[in-house]
Amino acid sequence: MQPIRPVESLLVVENLRIGIPRRWRGPLLLVDKADFDLRRGEMLGLVGESGSGKTMVCRSIIGTLARRGAAVLSGSIRLAGVELAHAGEALWRTIRGRRVGYITQSALAGLNPVMSIGMQLGEAIRQSGASGHAAVRERALELLEKVQIRRPRVVLDQHPHQLSGGMRQRVMIACALATRPDIIVADEPTTGLDVTVQAEIMRLLRRVQLETGAAVLLVSHDLALIDAVCDRLVVMHAGTCVESGAVDQMARPQHPYTAALNRSRIELAPAGSELVTIRGRPPAVGGWSPGCRFAERCEIVADDCRSGPHPPLRAVADGHLTACLRPHLVEGLR
Amino acid sequence: MKPPLLSATDISVTFGSGDARVRAVRDISLSVGDGESVGIVGESGSGKSTLARVLVGLESPEAGTVALRGRPIFSGSQAYPGASRREVQMVFQDPYTSLNPRMTALATVSEAVRFRRRCPRAEADGLALELLGNMGIGAQDARKKPRQLSGGQRQRVSVARALAVEPSVLVADEPTSAIDQSAQAQLLNLFNGLLRRGLAIVLISHSLAVIRYLSSRVYVMRDGAFVEHGPTERVFTDPQHEYTRMLIASIPSKALRAPEAGALAASRVP
Repeated sequence: MQPIRPVESLLVVENLRIGIPRRWRGPLLLVDKADFDLRRGEMLGLVGESGSGKTMVCRSIIGTLARRGAAVLSGSIRLAGVELAHAGEALWRTIRGRRVGYITQSALAGLNPVMSIGMQLGEAIRQSGASGHAAVRERALELLEKVQIRRPRVVLDQHPHQLSGGMRQRVMIACALATRPDIIVADEPTTGLDVTVQAEIMRLLRRVQLETGAAVLLVSHDLALIDAVCDRLVVMHAGTCVESGAVDQMARPQHPYTAALNRSRIELAPAGSELVTIRGRPPAVGGWSPGCRFAERCEIVADDCRSGPHPPLRAVADGHLTACLRPHLVEGLR
Repeated sequence: MKPPLLSATDISVTFGSGDARVRAVRDISLSVGDGESVGIVGESGSGKSTLARVLVGLESPEAGTVALRGRPIFSGSQAYPGASRREVQMVFQDPYTSLNPRMTALATVSEAVRFRRRCPRAEADGLALELLGNMGIGAQDARKKPRQLSGGQRQRVSVARALAVEPSVLVADEPTSAIDQSAQAQLLNLFNGLLRRGLAIVLISHSLAVIRYLSSRVYVMRDGAFVEHGPTERVFTDPQHEYTRMLIASIPSKALRAPEAGALAASRVP
């Protein structure tokens, strides 16, 4: 049973399966059953451990799975009604970097080291249809001011290595904004940056979001950060979405994995107290057993958790979905 | 008065020369007692990793003395022969680059055991397995190489390696920043157990949450110098230096939702 999607959904991901095709045998599954929606003007957090499939989901939204040898196997990715799951490169070129902006984890990897900031911004700006040297430069300056870069005229002629990590991430945001996208996908945009810079970048993202009305998909393994800045969040475990809801709802998790993530949060624990850890390791990609993929690590596991397909997401409250068969027992784990 | 377990006095480190001279660490002094956990918090480029490398003897300071129980280990670039560096061990930020990719976890730790005591290989392997077991690495995982282990497991192997030489002080440089939250919790639980058994830990981190959780005293470092130092709880609840206040204001909180709000944005954007 699929939950009813609210009308304002800009992006709807349904039953998405991503894998790497292999010769002589079935594909290696990286994501199996990802379900979530992104609404206009919201900031949605996507959390999960390394290897849970967060980055693959991001790549499927900007159409760069093929660069990693992966492909959408089945399911649906609809951007404002347009089906993108099996879109060809021609269609992607009208979406990627135009309607969907992308901010990578490492701005150093995301920017071209041998092009000046002005040239890279210019490329992005021309994507949106602007032309003429003066107009493009004018717009580039405007974008750099929007992301609060001081001395934008100087920065335009500089190269990425001359900027600090925080400045580079601002430039990435400016590039993503150049085409006035509907969606900005930010994959761990502040990992590796200092806390003060992280705070600035998050405030900036939040501000440009309010100004431009773009929806932001913020991917992070840092639950504290997601909790602080996002409106809603989706939790991924072993290639599937196990719980989603508004940040306030998720403070009372309805899935044992989210509950465990919450309890292992260091900033919430009293100093020196025994921290809760999640049993075992996430199941290895390709080694998923039938039933719930969290079963081996779960404290409230029962026999019916270990057979059949992975439990589907179902609503426990308005807008709050969980894939746990016994959400009422999760209360006892908090 | 009994001298502290580990003390560093007036440490200065300079890199480069001429116009390119960078004073990475400026006249820093700190001390750690038995079983005490001291935190050093600061941002990238503040010199905290350089300081860590000085404490374990990987970097020789331009000036200053590092002493163990009052006896100098080295002073400036001069090392005292016979002084034991073994007692101060380090855990690095990235376990993947600090472990030998061609050695199993067991071989890595066993080698360190035999560095400490001359014993037959079988005996060393036994001790190494026990150490790894204490770190939550079972006999099966112990026979794996770093690339077959998860990030958290790798980090616990490097802790086991550091403990194999029976140190009294562990200097951990950003031990939790490359691993997942649950693995982080596991590592911090281990550190807590080690503290209870009397090991002293110098924890270097940019994560205020990790420092607040583990360290009883904290030094706040900026541009190579300490700007503030004191009991962790006091520094967090009543920071005296403007920079400390700014760090604490940057801890993710709902305040980040309000664009432009707070002293932070105002201080950086003219």
